[in-house]
Amino acid sequence: MNMKTTLPPELPSFFHDIVAGEPAPMSTDVNRRSFLKLTGLVGGGLVLGGFGAMGSRKAYAQQAASDVSTLSAYVQIKPDGRITLFSKNPECGQGIKTGLPLIIAEELDCAWTDVDVVQADVDAAKYGANQFAGGSLSTPMNWMGMRQAGATARAMILAAAAKQLKLPVAELTTADTKVLHAASNRSWSYGEFAELAATMPVPEVASLTLKDPSQFKLLGRRWTGVDNHGIVTGKPLFGADTRMDGMLYATFTKSPQIAGKAVAFNEAHIKALPGVVDAFIVEPFLDARFFSANSGTHFGGVAIVAENTWAAIKAKRELQVEWDTSTAESATWDDLVERAKALADKDGEPLMVNVGPPGPNAQRAPAARGDVDAAFTSAAKVISAFYEYPYVSHAQLEPETTTAVFKDGKIEIWAPAQIPQGGEAGAAVVAGVTPENSTLHMTRIGGGFGRKLANDYVFEAAAIAKRMEGRPVKLQWTREDDMMHDFFRPGGFHAYKAALDADGKLVAFQDHFMSHTGNGQGPMTSADLAANVFPMDVVPNLKITQTLFQNGIPTGPMRAPGSNALAFSFQSFMHELAVASGKDHVQFMLETLGGEGPAENPQGMHKGRAANVIRAAAEMAGWGKEMPKGRALGLSFYFCHSGYVAQVADVEVFANKDVKVHKVYAAADFGFIHNLSAAENQLEGGIVDGLSQLFNAKITFNNGVIQQQNFHQYPLLRMPQTPALETKFLQPAEFSPTGAGEPSMPPLLAAVSNAIFNATGERIRKMPLSELGYRLV
Amino acid sequence: MATLQVNGQTLDIGTIDPSTPLLWVLRDTLGLVGTKYGCGIAQCGACTVHLNGEPVRSCQIPVGNLSSEQITTIEGLAGADGTLTKIQQAWIDEDVPQCGYCQAGQIMSATALLRKNPNPSDADIDAAMSGNLCRCATYTRIRRAIKVAAGQQTATAFYDAAAAQGERA
Repeated sequence: MNMKTTLPPELPSFFHDIVAGEPAPMSTDVNRRSFLKLTGLVGGGLVLGGFGAMGSRKAYAQQAASDVSTLSAYVQIKPDGRITLFSKNPECGQGIKTGLPLIIAEELDCAWTDVDVVQADVDAAKYGANQFAGGSLSTPMNWMGMRQAGATARAMILAAAAKQLKLPVAELTTADTKVLHAASNRSWSYGEFAELAATMPVPEVASLTLKDPSQFKLLGRRWTGVDNHGIVTGKPLFGADTRMDGMLYATFTKSPQIAGKAVAFNEAHIKALPGVVDAFIVEPFLDARFFSANSGTHFGGVAIVAENTWAAIKAKRELQVEWDTSTAESATWDDLVERAKALADKDGEPLMVNVGPPGPNAQRAPAARGDVDAAFTSAAKVISAFYEYPYVSHAQLEPETTTAVFKDGKIEIWAPAQIPQGGEAGAAVVAGVTPENSTLHMTRIGGGFGRKLANDYVFEAAAIAKRMEGRPVKLQWTREDDMMHDFFRPGGFHAYKAALDADGKLVAFQDHFMSHTGNGQGPMTSADLAANVFPMDVVPNLKITQTLFQNGIPTGPMRAPGSNALAFSFQSFMHELAVASGKDHVQFMLETLGGEGPAENPQGMHKGRAANVIRAAAEMAGWGKEMPKGRALGLSFYFCHSGYVAQVADVEVFANKDVKVHKVYAAADFGFIHNLSAAENQLEGGIVDGLSQLFNAKITFNNGVIQQQNFHQYPLLRMPQTPALETKFLQPAEFSPTGAGEPSMPPLLAAVSNAIFNATGERIRKMPLSELGYRLV
Repeated sequence: MATLQVNGQTLDIGTIDPSTPLLWVLRDTLGLVGTKYGCGIAQCGACTVHLNGEPVRSCQIPVGNLSSEQITTIEGLAGADGTLTKIQQAWIDEDVPQCGYCQAGQIMSATALLRKNPNPSDADIDAAMSGNLCRCATYTRIRRAIKVAAGQQTATAFYDAAAAQGERA
């Protein structure tokens, strides 16, 4: 059985690159057994872990190319029965630090109250190459591996108990961290067998018996987060909270015009300011406009190192830098808008998309089938529309920060990083040390949303720490640094054209997609269009073309990359087609799906699962019911990151264009939900995130300078604007878990904009709505 | 040598630039890192602490302006024996946090609200909490946790699969 992680094609290529060389995480691969090793815990006990064949830590860059099979879990059982479970993937608010250990605990058959959870360190040899938080993959990548890890430990405890008690193993069972012997009505804590269990042979994975889901005691219920007590009492959990003896504090100032280089600065003045320890220029490394998690790439700039954060920030305000902008970015958003509008009636170059499995070696072909021109000629109706959406910023609440110390030829880092292995590898490059001499410790991430997949701030900290050799340095970005130097969700443009036949059936679909290139080769990261966007994947006649504007404003993945803004334009246009067809929107969507069957390729959209969430959301909202004047329901559906979500928004529009979103109904199919509280948090958060983007979020740039600097210019949604939310998870039994973080958001955008059309007759073809005079109240 | 009254204790902050915002004194000088930096311009509320019981943005208060004021931070809410306040417990019971970075500020604002107004309406909650951003958008759970702490509704039945279905506004 091939347990290799298969990735949705819309994910940025770096995810595919990471996973391409990845062995199955604790898979059924029998070779895994030879890499397992048990060691005694000091003071007795069982440590179950996986160790690479090389027996040493290996950096991600090497690991990605190796075939070392690794275990993705780490279990300690102490003599007193207390269990420590290590959570291997970064926690950025998606709940994985609770979710992964819960899965282990289920198969280990222990009581959740007996468990302590510890964040695992970065170690590709131990935990595999997929130690990252992105793509809504943390759960699906690890679902089977975590179950096997728990079951392996349980089997070894049972074997040890049988030996120690001189009882046949078949007479022993487990429950709640205890070995049970029903025949004699006796029970013992796991801790009593922990030391002996450490000497037991590791069972073949194929010999493990996993629980039938009907036997689950922990999974499928509601669990509060393991860090919540620490969060509500203010414990130092986050990257920004790192403190070390003798620590210095740094700011880093980059060119306001993206990719400008620091030539000189008022060094004497800055160095003379109170509390300033040092100030220096950091040279750029590689071309930092292009998203990279592991290369060490970063923009140059001016570092100010001080005795405390305030001294560093205060000095930053007095910084005067001479920037060389001869090779800096010069794009202006409004110019791009005008160019795009002028191209709306024309075709671009054929859009090349992956044919077959994605990855570095994917085959490419034009996204075209049938004959759209013939279909337009013979169609009963042809509908055209031009859509526009802006750049947006992640605006995660914890600004970028990293603590690093360079000492004795080694770099050690504490960072909130979504790809910590990449941070560790790139920091080694920056610090000029071998990968073995770079160590990154994962902290809790104060919001990621994809921003902290890039490790530019980690690499800046490494460069500063190297200069300040021997002293730990905490780099703290200001909010202004964050907003002006994001890897933004790219803005884009779609000139759509579609044909309906006499029965109102969608028969042809055309899109001229306009996006951005920084190198003249391909689109910027997450500025591309995948081939699987509904209805591209089901329409008989299709032609997708693309124009790439020269524009290297940095872009990168943001929650539901390759889907988020597309869901606005595609699903708004789908509603336009439904209206033109004269059919009910739900009916039109189901007819366009054209069936209930599975997709041909495993990453494709299962039409039945799509139809089910559409029907469920419509039913929850009372679709078709009478609504007061000025108030209407709007529907949207999106499939991405292997998840199916339909949302219906109940929206009231007042005469002054104030908009009240009374309620949003969401039906989701992410397969089996192992922690309902976390999944619901993601779905609710995605809806509100979407509202914030739809109404207000917009980043602009003039001559390569980002024009928004803080929340007063980039407002996020606040509590009074939050609608009532009703969520439902369909959980068809035959599908294992997929991720919830990303697919939760995209449908909201068009659900609300379609509702505004239904309430007012005004079609929304541009985000954010604030630019069209609407205001969310 | 300057001192501050923080969480019921008199703490020495040494010789310090009086323009330093209270936020950075708490975090860097005193090591009370539960109070967070989010924006530096009083837009996000992550740095909310209590000054004589009133919620304030600590990023906007120069330490030189302070002398005998009673400062309470997130670290000072629980009892000396670790007993959590009703608000803190409700935050855990409702599993409010996602990333959790804003939650210290949210809890400080909610604590001040309930101290003044033990039985707040939805509008009261909106007014008291609108200065605190949650980028993960846990607003519905924050509202519910405040109501649970106020005794207006019972805690969500955790460990009950059925409770996740349907509306729980």
